[in-house]
Amino acid sequence: MTAVTATSAPTDLPEVAPLVITATGVVSAAGFGAGPLRDVLAGTSAPHDEPVDPDAAEHPARSVRTVARFDRAALLGRKGTRNLDRLTQLGLLAADQAIAGLPGGLGGARLDRTGVVVGTTAGSIATATDVGRDTIVHEKPYMVNPATFPNTVMNACSGQIAIRHGLLGVNAAVSGGALSWLLAVRYARTALSSGRADRLLVGAVEEVTARTAWAWHLTGLLAPDAPLGEGAAFFVVAPAGGGTPVAELLGCEVGYFGGAGPGLYGGLRRTIAAAVARSGLTAADIDVVVPGATAHTRLARMERRALGTELGVLPPTLDVLPAVGEAYSASGALQLAALLATGGGNRVALLTSVGEDGGAGAMVVRC
Amino acid sequence: MHERRRVAVTGLGTVSCVGIGIDAFTSAIREGRVGSSEITSFDTTGFPATLACEVRGFEPRDVLERVEPDHWGPSAVFAAAAGRLAVQDGGLDPASLADRRAGTVMGTTCGEAPVIQQLTDQWVADGLKNIDADLVTKVPANRIATAVNHELGLTGPAQTVPSACSASNFALGYAYDLIVSGEADLMVAGGADAVNRSTHAGFLQLGALATDVCRPFDVDRSGILTGEGGVALLLEPYDVAQARGARIYAELLGYGANCDARHMVNPDADSIAACIRLAQASAGVAPEQVDYVCAHGTGTPTNDATEVAAMRQVFPDRLPPISSIKSMIGHTMGAASGFGAAICCKALEEGFLPPTANLRTLDPALGAGVDPVPGVARAATPSVVQNHGFAFGGNNAITMFGRAS
Repeated sequence: MTAVTATSAPTDLPEVAPLVITATGVVSAAGFGAGPLRDVLAGTSAPHDEPVDPDAAEHPARSVRTVARFDRAALLGRKGTRNLDRLTQLGLLAADQAIAGLPGGLGGARLDRTGVVVGTTAGSIATATDVGRDTIVHEKPYMVNPATFPNTVMNACSGQIAIRHGLLGVNAAVSGGALSWLLAVRYARTALSSGRADRLLVGAVEEVTARTAWAWHLTGLLAPDAPLGEGAAFFVVAPAGGGTPVAELLGCEVGYFGGAGPGLYGGLRRTIAAAVARSGLTAADIDVVVPGATAHTRLARMERRALGTELGVLPPTLDVLPAVGEAYSASGALQLAALLATGGGNRVALLTSVGEDGGAGAMVVRC
Repeated sequence: MHERRRVAVTGLGTVSCVGIGIDAFTSAIREGRVGSSEITSFDTTGFPATLACEVRGFEPRDVLERVEPDHWGPSAVFAAAAGRLAVQDGGLDPASLADRRAGTVMGTTCGEAPVIQQLTDQWVADGLKNIDADLVTKVPANRIATAVNHELGLTGPAQTVPSACSASNFALGYAYDLIVSGEADLMVAGGADAVNRSTHAGFLQLGALATDVCRPFDVDRSGILTGEGGVALLLEPYDVAQARGARIYAELLGYGANCDARHMVNPDADSIAACIRLAQASAGVAPEQVDYVCAHGTGTPTNDATEVAAMRQVFPDRLPPISSIKSMIGHTMGAASGFGAAICCKALEEGFLPPTANLRTLDPALGAGVDPVPGVARAATPSVVQNHGFAFGGNNAITMFGRAS
């Protein structure tokens, strides 16, 4: 919880216990895995930029970063996958990859103490609107597809990941708009530090369809040339000592600043300061920043200004937008996946997320 | 780090089909009053089942001070109103809230499904390029928790947990951990959902919708009635609540959460039993101490049989009384276990067991020793109660409440 007292200290809460990431999986417009993402970020290969949804011809005039079509049966198997929506499929693919990256896979630890946390703002809008359309175009309005209907719940992806891998522990969906990833990390930290799980698969998912593209387009919130993105990234997260770390998750602070209080700019500054302080670090320790709001006309400048003000001098910036697009619920997870894909070197990174709905947050990562 | 803190429930806010505010809600439940009526929130032409438990006679502006209802979806409005009612009920100075380390966790199943349905109608009728952008901004489910923060002036995290029909218990559990660990000093937690066409159609297609009456544990039970509303519990550290002289309804003793990891829709008795054990261990409670269970009790043949079977694994010698308030308020989806939590708190405070309405013949197939508290509330002095929530996706969450000491 963010400290929001009027004192000069950024927070009166103690330093957080670092969490370790022991494996990662990412599916994005760059392709499957960290390697292709690194190449696209480096400019040595191009992201996939064609719509792939059934209404591909109906997209607005806006560029996209989409996951190229894939062979579901080949990658996920035939059993039990035919009725899965694309959002869940993307999540399963990234989760599979993360699990495959664990030395020894999921063995060696209790599956009833292994859980799943998935960031998603509204589940699959494609599925929700498919079912909604069924209720108005059929002669009998209740003739929705009974195999599709269970996918309308927003925890469909987290439930399917658990089913696929037999994960009996805490299983949660987390809805947070642009902050979905940061909120998922906070949920995971709380569950792990409260002793409710030993290990969690934590990720976030997003899809691009003509329906979501028009929705974004008509709001006018995004820069005209900002591509919409989709994808999924998952990370196996445990308390320190729970495996060989790929990276460490340090301070992660969020708040709501759309109403009372310091306003969005002031609130973002607070969360940055508190996240750094709760990492036991100072602004001078930050080697790289990964901003999340770069597609947003109003928010992008504000985010940059808040980072510059809090950090003094703005360190090198990793802008993931050209590679993965504005991926909304998955944006923070893809920011982290991009950071990790660009290599280690014991850097300390600051990731920020800002929502049009008044949420702001920041997370510190050592990688 | 902070020492492990205890958690008090000091305020209750309910927007339900049987009453606005916790007092109206509680008296209706005690009387066994059923809140179903003909659906008005969408056109039911062509539906063979047209009853639901809709909130009627609720004017959001009578309750809300900051949230402008026209700018938010119906679930967000339910949530904000429930949050405001909970804070009023808790006797907190509203002006003090912005300075607290305070936030919101709200559960939901359908999010803002009625808004998505409106957009879908526009899309089918007029094409995607003509959908209403103002409606688009109401779609995100995270706005359900955000609306509570906005209404109350809270600047801590606003977190929606869309873990389907156990979501309120997930929300309460998360809020509990945040207070116990010292990360938060005040949390508003609960859930909200709104009756909508897709959910009504979906449960009908699954064969899980009752056409007239929801009869949990009855031999003739045929399914759920869809319901709606908002519910919020105000949670504070126990010692802080005592120090300010707050009325403490109950102590939130702990919770358990797990996943079936078998099937998206069918419940699993072994997994539910494991979740009950987790909840009791978290609360430091032995099975024989549990005086009452507020059931998930949807009134589908499968749920009630599975739930009782799971109970028998944990309570082999004696089943505590178990009742379902869904018989009165329908299945309020993501709010369901929040309403269960609210009535559990009142049961502990006032001394009663909530009833199961509409029960004619207890299903003999459930086996011996099932006490569903039929009809109206029963006077009792429960000390520890257990509140169930199960969901699509196999997400089980159970909260445990104890009488204030």
